[in-house]
Formats: sequence, C-alpha cells, structure tokens
Amino acid sequence: MTVPAKAVSQQIKTPKGLSERIKRLRDYYFKGVDRAWNNESTSWTTGTPWDIQFNEITFYIVPETYMLMQTLLSSYRQGARPVDLPEDFWAKPIVERRAWFIKEVMVRYLPKEILPGDLIAGGRFNIQASMCLNKDEQAEFNRLTTGKKGARAAVNWFHGHGYGNAGATCGHLIPGYERVLTVGWQGIYKELEELYARLTDPDKKSRKGAQLRAMMTAAAMPKELAAGYARICQQLAVKEKDADRKSELIQMAKNLQKVPWEPPKTFWEAVQSLWLTHMLIMSDENYPGPGVSFGRIDQYLLPFWEYSMKNGMSREFGKEILKCFWVHANTAYDAMIRNGNQGITSGFGQLITLSGLGKNGPDLTDLTNDLTYVMLEVIDEMSPILEPKPNVRMHRNTPDALLDTMVDMVAESQGAPFLINFDERSMAGMMREAKTAGIEHLINKDNVYEYCPVGCLENTMAGNDRSGTVDCNLNLLKAVELALTGGKDLIAFVDPMTFKTEKIRQDGPETGDATRFQTWNEFWEAYKQQNAYIIKKCVDLYEKSESIRARFLQTPYLSCLVKGCAEKGLDVTQGGAEISFVTLEAVTYATTVDALLAIKYLVFDEKKCTMNELIRALKDNWEGHEVLQALAKNRAPKYGRDDDEADTMAKQVMDLWTEETWKHRTVSTNRRFRPGMLSWNYWAGDGYVMAASADGRKKGQFLSNAICPSNGADINGPTANANSVGKALGGKDETIGDWEDYLNSLPNGASHTITFNPSIIKDPEHRDKFKAFLRGYAQNGGTCLQVNMLDPEMLKDAQKHPQDYRHLLVRITGYNAYFTSVGRELQNEVIARLSHERF
Amino acid sequence: MKDFNNSATILEIVRMSTEDGPGIRTTVFFKGCTLNCAWCHNPESISPKPQLQWVGSRCIGCKTCLSVCRENALTLTEAGMQIDRTRCTGCGDCAEECPGTALEMMGKIWPLDDLVAEVIKDRSYFETSGGGITLSGGEPAMQPAFAAFFLKALREKGLHTAVDTCGQCRRDALEIMLPYAAMVLFDIKLIDPEAHKKFTGHDNRRIIDNLLFAADYIRSHVHPSDMWIRTPIIPGATATPENIAGIGQFIAAHLNGAVSRWELCAFNNLCRDKYRRLDQPWVFEEENLLSKSFLEELADTAKRSGVDPDIVFATGATCLSDN
Repeated sequence: MTVPAKAVSQQIKTPKGLSERIKRLRDYYFKGVDRAWNNESTSWTTGTPWDIQFNEITFYIVPETYMLMQTLLSSYRQGARPVDLPEDFWAKPIVERRAWFIKEVMVRYLPKEILPGDLIAGGRFNIQASMCLNKDEQAEFNRLTTGKKGARAAVNWFHGHGYGNAGATCGHLIPGYERVLTVGWQGIYKELEELYARLTDPDKKSRKGAQLRAMMTAAAMPKELAAGYARICQQLAVKEKDADRKSELIQMAKNLQKVPWEPPKTFWEAVQSLWLTHMLIMSDENYPGPGVSFGRIDQYLLPFWEYSMKNGMSREFGKEILKCFWVHANTAYDAMIRNGNQGITSGFGQLITLSGLGKNGPDLTDLTNDLTYVMLEVIDEMSPILEPKPNVRMHRNTPDALLDTMVDMVAESQGAPFLINFDERSMAGMMREAKTAGIEHLINKDNVYEYCPVGCLENTMAGNDRSGTVDCNLNLLKAVELALTGGKDLIAFVDPMTFKTEKIRQDGPETGDATRFQTWNEFWEAYKQQNAYIIKKCVDLYEKSESIRARFLQTPYLSCLVKGCAEKGLDVTQGGAEISFVTLEAVTYATTVDALLAIKYLVFDEKKCTMNELIRALKDNWEGHEVLQALAKNRAPKYGRDDDEADTMAKQVMDLWTEETWKHRTVSTNRRFRPGMLSWNYWAGDGYVMAASADGRKKGQFLSNAICPSNGADINGPTANANSVGKALGGKDETIGDWEDYLNSLPNGASHTITFNPSIIKDPEHRDKFKAFLRGYAQNGGTCLQVNMLDPEMLKDAQKHPQDYRHLLVRITGYNAYFTSVGRELQNEVIARLSHERF
Repeated sequence: MKDFNNSATILEIVRMSTEDGPGIRTTVFFKGCTLNCAWCHNPESISPKPQLQWVGSRCIGCKTCLSVCRENALTLTEAGMQIDRTRCTGCGDCAEECPGTALEMMGKIWPLDDLVAEVIKDRSYFETSGGGITLSGGEPAMQPAFAAFFLKALREKGLHTAVDTCGQCRRDALEIMLPYAAMVLFDIKLIDPEAHKKFTGHDNRRIIDNLLFAADYIRSHVHPSDMWIRTPIIPGATATPENIAGIGQFIAAHLNGAVSRWELCAFNNLCRDKYRRLDQPWVFEEENLLSKSFLEELADTAKRSGVDPDIVFATGATCLSDN
C-alpha cells in the first residue's frame, strides 16, 4: 500500500528574468499606498445638491459591503469634484448625459501620466462619476434602491434569511476587442453613424436615437483620450535625455495618434489599442474590472505578433510590452487602495483565455501557438501577480508541450495557470443553451469553439454576449430547509444591527407537515415546490436591481463593444446584447444533495430517527443530538465518491433546479435565466447565516463550494471526485449528447477545485501521471478545474508570520487571493483541504 | 483460508494510486499474507480474517458499540477503546452500528462482479496514463482462484493488470494468475535466507524458486510482459549495502530479459498508528524516516551491483531535514 509522502516543502515563487524596466514598474506597483502615483477612484459630480456617484447595486452580490453602503455613498459624494456642464446638459436623456460626462472626466479632468519606462499609455481609469440624474430622477432612483420596499431592503432580507444574494453587476463579459483590432474605433463609429442615419425622425427623437447618439459620443472617447496621452509622450520625449527612452516615447506618441481609432498593424499598437479600449470599460462602468475579460487573447493578438516578429521586433521586447500591459491591469486594485492590500475584494478577474480548440482549416484542431507560450512565460516571470488571470482551455488533444508548461507552472504553485477549462464539456453546455433558448443561429457547432470563460470560468460567447454571470447567487439548500418546515425559516432571523428577533412567518408555499410524510417521495415533492419557490424569489429580487439599472445606469461605451446594442439601439444594460441571459449561479450544491441523501437515509430508508427528531436536532444546531449528527455525517451517502446511488440524487437535484431556472425571464429587459455554478466565496460566509443542515453540518460551518463535494466528503480521491462531478453534469451519452457524446446541464460551467498533495508532481514520472489525470478529467470531469498545490506547513507558518508572506497567493473558489489577506476561517479551510488522503 | 471463486476478502481499494506500477492505477489490497515481515507497513493486511479496529479521532463516545457487542469484547476507557481480541469474533456488528465509523472492520467480502464494476470506474484515467489495476495486499496469491478470475475479467475488458506478490506462495497459484497479468511486481526483501527467516518468518527458498519461475514465464510468454522488483529499505534489516548488492547480483545473474525496473522503497513510519489500532507492538515504532543521502548511497550500491543502472529507482519519503 502506498502511504502519502510528506508534503514537499515549497518556496514562495519569486519573479524571474525581469528587465530593469519591468522590475522597477513591478516593484513600484507593490509599494501600494506608498506610491506617489496611484489609480485610486476619484469622484466627479454635476454639482447638484442631490447628486450621487456610488452605485450600490453593483455591490449587492458582495454581502460584506452591505454595512458599508451608506458610508461609501457619502464619502464619494463628499470627495466629488464638480465638472462644468454644457447648457443643454439637462435637456438630454440620461444615457446621453452619462456618455458626455464620463468622456469629459476621462478626456479633460482626470490627470494623465506615463510612468518611467512604461511602454503602454493609459494610467488612471478608476472613477466614480455622477449618475447624471435630475432631481426627480434621483429621487425615484433613491426610492427604488433605498426606499422601504427598495432593492437594498430586499437583498438584505434575502441574504439575511439564507437565500443568497442577487444584483445587477458590472463587467462579466468578453467585449468585442477583436473587432476594435480589426476595424478600429473609427469602424465602430462609422457603423453607429450609418445606423443613426437610417433611423426615421421619430426614432431619432426616441430612446433609440438617444442611445445611438450616446454611443457615438462614447465611441469618440478613446480617440480623444489617446490624443491626450500622445501629447504627454511628445512632451516627455522632448525632455528625455536617454536616447533609447526618447525614441520609445516618440514611438508611443505615434502609436497613440493612430490607435485605438484606427486598426493597429504592429504588436505594440495592438496592445496599446487593447489596453485603452479595456480600461475605459472600467471607467464607463465605474467599477474596477470585475470580470471584464479578454477572451482568446493569444488568438486575436497573434496576427500582430507575427507581423512584428517578421518585421524585426525581438521576442523579448514583445514580452516587455505585454509585461507593461500586465502591470496596468493590476492597477485596477488601486480603486480602494486605502482599504488595504487590495481593497474590499480580491481577484477582479480580468481573465484571459489561452489555447483551446478552433478552426484552422476545415477541422477542429488545437490552436496553441507561439503567443500562448509567450503569455505563459510572461505570467511565470511576473508571478506572483494577480491580473490578468489566465484560464487555459484544454481538450482531449491538447499538445503535450503545453501540458508540460502548465504542470511546471502548477508545480511552482505561485504561478498561474491555476484554472483549466475543458472544451468538450464546456461546449456541450453552450450547445445546450443554444438549443434550450432557441438561439442556434448564434451558437452552433460551427462557432461554439469560440466560447470563452469570463471572470473565472463562466462560459459565454465573445463580443455579443452578456449573461450576468455573477448576478444571481442562490443557496439551493434553502429549499431543503423550507421543505422540512413547510415554507418557514427553521430558526428565527436575528437582525445583526439591532439584535431584534423576527417572528417566523410563512414565506414559501405550504408544502405540508413534513413530520407526517410517510415516504421519501412525499418529501421530494415538497422539496420540488420549495425549489421552484426559491428560484422565483431570486428572479424577483434580481428584477428590482435589473429594472433600476436599465432605467438609470446605462453604459453606452460598453454597449459599443457588444454586438446587438447598436443594431437594436438598446443599451447593454437593457438587454441589447445578441446573447443576453442572466445566469443563476447555484451555491451549496453538494450540501443540498448530501442533506437530501441524509434525510432519505435517516428517516425513510434506515429509520434511524423520525422526521420530528431530525427537525428538532437541526433547530438545536445538533447540540444534544451528537449520535444522530454522527450518523448523518458518516453513515449517510455523500456526493463526490463516485457512488452511483449518491450521484443519482445529485443528478436529480441538478435536473430539477436547472430546468426550473430556464423557465424564467427578466420583465424589464427580457433576459432569460440560465444555470451555472460559481459560488465565489458565499459558501464560506453564508455558512454563518444558514441553519444547521441534515448532512450533519452545524450553523457556522462552511457550505459546499460550487460543484465540489462537501469538504472532506471526497474520500475516494481525485478521480472519484471528478467522476461524480461529470455525472452530476449529465455524463456522456452517444445518442443524446449536447456536443458529441458530452452532456452538460450548465452552460455557464461549474467551479471545481481539487487540492493535490505536491508529491503528485515530485518527479518527471509523477508529472506524467498528473498530466494523464488532466487528460482523464477531460473525458470524465466538469467544465473547469482549479488545481491547488499546497504545503500545509508553509501555510501554517504564513498564519504565524503574515508579514513574511505578503506575496503568497492561494487559490480559493476560482479566484486568487493573497493568503494573508483572507480571513482566518478561510485560511484554516485551505489548510484542512490540503490532503486527500484519509489518514 | 477458503478460496471462493466468486468472492474474496479485500482490505481496501485505493484509486489514483501512483505508486503501484505504471500510470494511474486502482490498487486492490487483498487481505491475508503468507509472510509476517517485522516492518510491515500494512499490518492489517497480514491476517486473512476481517479484523476490528478503532480510530479514536472519529469516536464520539456514544457507547453504541458496547450495547451491540454480544461478546462483551469492548471497553471504553480513558485511554481509548479496549478491544479484547480473545473475545472478539469479528462479527462486525459494532462497526455496522458505530455512528462515527470509529470502529471499522478491516476487510470486506467482495463478490467478483461488484469488484470488477468498482475498479473499472477509472478506466478513462487508465487509458490516458497507461495505468490499470494492481492486485496487491497482503498476498493476492493467497486467494488464487479469485485473483485469477478477477484478472481474467479485467483482461477481457481490455484493462492493464499487475500482480504484486511477495513470492511466498504455491507454484500453482502463480500458474493460474500469470497468464492474465500484464505485469508482475515481485518483492525481494532479503537475499540471505537466514536473515529472511528472522525478519519475515520464512526463508526465501520458495520465493527465489517462484521468482525464477515467473522470470522464465515472462521470457517465454506474451503475457505477462514485464516484471518490476521491489525492495523495501528498512533500517537494521534490509538496508545494508551487502543485502542490496546481493539482490542486485541476483537480478543481474538470473532475471535478465524479464525485469525492467528495480525499486528501492524507503521505510515509512506513518503506519505507526496502524499498529496501535491493532493493539500490536512494532519494533520500528521509534524509527525515523531515512535520510536522503543514505537512500541515495544505497541506490548507488544497487546501480553498481551489476544490474543495468537505469532500472534502479529509489522511491518514498525521506527526512525533510536532510534535503
């Protein structure tokens, strides 16, 4: 028998092979608050007494901020600087006011600087801009958000009672960057002009006309901003004494006079164009890069890379350009820099997609290219650094050389890629989406391979798709609780501010007294009804913020980069995208499955207790019911062990909630709901909110994460764990496969984390076995795997000496975080998960 | 020891094993061993009978087991669960009822069809890694008919199979198993017969005979096609230059053309708790992991013993302090 080898001690990764230029820029970045220059959000006002800047709706999916809403709102308001308005400002519709205002701030008010040695222009972009509402509009906005029946109160109730959260959030899409590189902003502008010219006069006066005018204003912004930066470069070039740097600055000025307005030709121009185009989305949305993802960057930048390589650019200089781009992406974190290392949240998820299947000729083939490796080298040499975060698309025929590179980087632990997307299963999900929603003209077997993950792993199409991938986060477990009680909270809600205990009331449907159920089937029927209820409840909650955003908070600049918006004359926030879903991300999946399995086992199959006793135990948080709790934990079947009985239940739960989700649409924007499993960090925080569950979990213990088995339940190792995940998604079937024989109920995909003992990659022979595991995962597993490779001793030491581990990155739930900045509980969780071995 | 063709006593099934042959493997540990090695890392595999053990960390102190046991073989004391092994009949009732799974029966009867269904679950990973199923133990040749049927069923499904044997078994056991095994993992622990008897309970005469038989068989048949030799490196027992050189000379002289790998498997002390749970003393209780340099020296000895140096591999954990 093999006994687990002791974890190999690992060193924290350090950057390597950096030029003086990049080392300086990188070191400067990590000085954080000590920097003279930063990209902290500045706030800008129309100057009216009612004006506000902070859009709290975008934070409704971050429960940690609920207590801070008013503070943030007030501080941005107090710090806001006035912008001079044109006379006709207030006569225009909101979308035009906002387009003008953002452009004015970005082009004329916000300082522009070039850091020493930097090869890419585009420094400050974090702004909190006026909502540009008049008095009545602002009053209406305030009533709808912070009024008694407003969105804030609703999301507070929803979260406080353990359902989860929902809110119309920024970013989380792949903008049409490829189009900017192909036709330039001038091409986008020209199309808008043509579309506008074709409108009838009444249409021009309608919302449609206003939208297109606003988009034209926004589409001119990159050109004017680039011109400003070009002037700065020229001025710096005049003063520059170093001849090499002088010529760089002159070239940068030339680049900026051309792009992003015109399409680029060289690699340097292309990266410059991409950066300015990208950063302005964060300005437009007033939010620093939440899942504004780049898509297949190694594919659409390749022609420029090849052109420049042919015309004398050295590979090293090409990497130098990319490294500057990397540093820029990280300045997104400056938004709330004074709140600590990285502000409130971490892992903003400006995701890049690398490699994957595609067409290069008639057949589907692997598209790994030189630039794929260049990007991985850049990450390896810059690491540890958070952004942009890579997700490497893998499939059955991924070349061995790419896998070797990935495994080498995984072995060093601190280097991405930590996220690996799996094409076959992912494409199956996208095909299911196309079929279910009747959009096979937009997603089909001839383009599905162009899908890209957003944020972490949320699959969408590129340039025409906004599917709200983090907007709705529902705790499936709540339906089990409600089925036990016939539609009421199991334990009374206590207000965390006032400590007042709320009276328990009938919230969900009355599904009967569970203590009188004679069969498992009766309980299952009750669960089904409660499941439908919580999904509807989440949909209704989302409608509140979705309708407010659609009415008051348009993003005309972003709309220029999403196909469908110009054609329909509809903002992306109003459902303008060709593909416009809202994703309902289910949280607590395994806990839900395990709780149902435990109820079936304890009450119906093995009759270890009555339903009454079980409910009593849950109300008592298992205290005084330790034997029953132990039976629930250890004796009841569990998902994640490749046990067909348990995994069949998992599949039933999956089918039930996903089919229910597809039934809904938003009212205000007509976006259909689609299912996914992300669960970000909610599985940790909401564990303190949700009552004890029948799987043996006490209140305060973590819930399960995304599609992962419950913590500690996967006792049969990684292959069994992966097989269970694949089965939960539908497995394979040659006759009814969504893509070839692969089935997938989750078009968005599902986050799956497996933490490996580093001994799995201790030598070349084991690395080959690990690579084979990944290839096997492509056959049997889910859509996305996050590989963790940790050493518990190192982590324990980091808990004791956080100052020595400031750069230590860990991977939790699809996002990177600095280990020392996450909470103690989460730190302990990471340590506890380290090993898969049972002893 | 009964040998039913259609069921066997299996200690454990370990998936994604990376240490029991090529590729990713599912290793089936048969219960019951013909040797009784002093250092055994799996003492629970030696007895052919299912055995009860108690894992303290899982016990919630509910004493359900005490009321279930018909033989009054259990006592829960401050020091933990005392199992009166003279009374325990191994009926398994207490383990069946234990809410925390603290009491556990080591060894379970597996019908052939169920076992086949269980081990093919990782087929995809076998295919991508060149792995398969390893029969280990204990000693699979102690349940030879079952092992042979099991191997045959796996072979018919196109799966790669390996048999890990200590060699102390009947010749006819090997004769019925080998035709269905793709490869053999064969242990040579000590080359000196006296020392072998001292540390394992038997001299190595029969083992050597069987080893030569297996090597001949491999040379003259398509299946199995390969053999790996495994030598546990145990301080004070096998870990001497003389022993390693002796084994190497034997391999070089007699096993040419049949052996492609010789693994020196470093002593591991993580099984200490297993002995405690079985209420058995262990002479290696206080022994530390080998130092890396010592293991490397022995590997050098092996490489200079006359075998092709490329077939020598040293595996297993060593002390961190010596790295």
